[in-house]
Amino acid sequence: MEPIDIGLVVTGGLLVFVVLGMRVAFAAGLAGLVGLIWIFWSKKGYDPDEFGWALTVAAKTAGQVPHSKVSSQALSLIPTFILIGYLAYYAGLTRALFEASKRWIAWVPGGLAVSTVFATAGFAAVSGASVATAAVFARIAIPEMLKIGYDKKFAAGVVAAGGTLASLIPPSAILVIYAIIVEQDVGKLLLAGFIPGVFSALVYAILIIGMALTIKGFGPPVGGFSWRERFECLPAALPIVLVVVTIVFFVYNPFGGDAWGTPTEGGAIGAFIVFLMAVYRGMRWAELKDALLETAKLSVMIFTIIWGVLIYVRFLGFAELPSAFADWITSLTMSPMVILICILLAYAVLGMFMDAIGMLLLTLPVVYPAVMALNGGVYVSAEDSAFGMSGPMCAIWFGILVVKMAEFCLITPPIGLNCFVVAGVRPDLSVQDVFKGVTPFFIADGITIALLVSFPMIVLWLPGLA
Amino acid sequence: MAGAASVLSDDSRLSRLDRGFYRLERFFALLSGIAVFVLMLLAVFSVTGRNIFNQPLPGYVDWIEQIMPLIAFMGVSYTQRDGGHIRMDILVGALKGRALYLAEFITTFAILILMLLLVWGSWAHFERSFDFSSPLWSRDSSMDIALPLWPAKLLAPVAFAVLCVRLVLQLWGYMRAFVQGMDEPVGVPLVLDAATVAAREAEHVSRREDKGAN
Repeated sequence: MEPIDIGLVVTGGLLVFVVLGMRVAFAAGLAGLVGLIWIFWSKKGYDPDEFGWALTVAAKTAGQVPHSKVSSQALSLIPTFILIGYLAYYAGLTRALFEASKRWIAWVPGGLAVSTVFATAGFAAVSGASVATAAVFARIAIPEMLKIGYDKKFAAGVVAAGGTLASLIPPSAILVIYAIIVEQDVGKLLLAGFIPGVFSALVYAILIIGMALTIKGFGPPVGGFSWRERFECLPAALPIVLVVVTIVFFVYNPFGGDAWGTPTEGGAIGAFIVFLMAVYRGMRWAELKDALLETAKLSVMIFTIIWGVLIYVRFLGFAELPSAFADWITSLTMSPMVILICILLAYAVLGMFMDAIGMLLLTLPVVYPAVMALNGGVYVSAEDSAFGMSGPMCAIWFGILVVKMAEFCLITPPIGLNCFVVAGVRPDLSVQDVFKGVTPFFIADGITIALLVSFPMIVLWLPGLA
Repeated sequence: MAGAASVLSDDSRLSRLDRGFYRLERFFALLSGIAVFVLMLLAVFSVTGRNIFNQPLPGYVDWIEQIMPLIAFMGVSYTQRDGGHIRMDILVGALKGRALYLAEFITTFAILILMLLLVWGSWAHFERSFDFSSPLWSRDSSMDIALPLWPAKLLAPVAFAVLCVRLVLQLWGYMRAFVQGMDEPVGVPLVLDAATVAAREAEHVSRREDKGAN
């Protein structure tokens, strides 16, 4: 068998094991290791005496991947971002943020729902966990919305959808993971997520205001806060802004001059700010220990997939599968844009059944080179490219699109997890109710993605400055 | 899905071993969590040192690279015990009883094979940089301040060996459940559907949020 055939067979086997429910990290690692043994052995003509040699070389090749790939400064952003998320609960930020958001913006039509969107976006940004954000705000925001006459399903939909804004606004662990896997600048990707994240929130807000103006009996605006009341509530919510601003400034200084440091330092300073806030709010060792254990668990989960997939990637390189797939994609007669849209739709389907991180890590090693080839290669200039942007810019743009797609899947039936969580917090709501309530946001996200695809400048303007 | 799960216990030897071993795993995971905290403090020292005292922390990047394996590997078994490594559970979620235990046994066994080979491979990686006769027992060192690399490299085979023990315990658990046709298998993570996972998550978060809101 040719290496490419071995690549296809092993990849098929990997998919079977993943569907069988094998933990993704280990399925990828095993596929990589088995593939390496197979390729090395095939080079010796499947001589039975040489099997031991092939096994040894493969085990040693795979055995150095975990340590060598994980010892990277860029990857250290992931645990710090996760730590920020777990500490954020103890910092009392959720209620503070909701209160501030309410006092400042609830006077617009559909005001309380709009406030909820911005409060969830803000908290989701630091917590980084869409699902947990939805759970928290289901408890805080839904009762207040119901009190002033919002439709129950719609209120639930707002919270479920708001939680998805997490992954684009810095600090975003999933963008860091993407950057590492495709070997692009982490800082630029973090920066690139900022405007699309805020943009998504704005699209939600416009949608709500539009609904409030056209639908009779929609929740009324909430006004009557004095400026004094408005400013009073700011200090408690300030750490969120500080964290986001710190991370952005450590990547890119908008006032000209050097960035303040590396993204790693920015993330750590952000974590430290939240830590101080949490201690001030009464966090003690027991809670810190809890947060550290949770951080460890989630970090390990992510790192295990990273090294598992990288063993598989090592094998893919030998099998030349990514380049073959890229050749095939570029040989298609369809326009590159149509192919890109098909790829994004495929992610929407896949995302219904799989966790975003697992899905991205498992598919990107093959899909990403193909997308780059579609644009005209890694080193293409903006003029010669299919999508009108240089190679590195295409990498950033595609990353934002894919991550937005993965978040989109958190509110799609049949297993949009955010909707389940909101229904889980509110015994009076069924999952179907939440899915119904989230439908307008579902459409809004579709529009957002279409806009990000049609106008890449929304994504690329900010990283282009840095 | 994230694969949050819970593990049942009873008074069998398996369950006692499971719980005893869990304490070790938890300790390892806590080390990993503390390493994240140290990582954060290092960066704070580095930034304040550089900007306020004009004295950058020497070997800052070297230290990060040595700490990372601690974070990445030490909790691997703890996470496996609680079923925290993600997977696609659409098929296993639909299986019940013996069919489920058989599927779990097969995939867990596959992980064990992988990890045994990786203990070997990562040990070889460690051995290449370890030498009793060299200064600090080290044949290679980090770029900036020449920290020995072998301690970080040793963490991989150690953590993977712990994971192998955990996998054997889980295989035992699945086998026992399969043979006895148990409804509620002991010592292995249960498969939960999306609604249950969501409810757990919601409850967990709520508890934390209440503490934070005080």
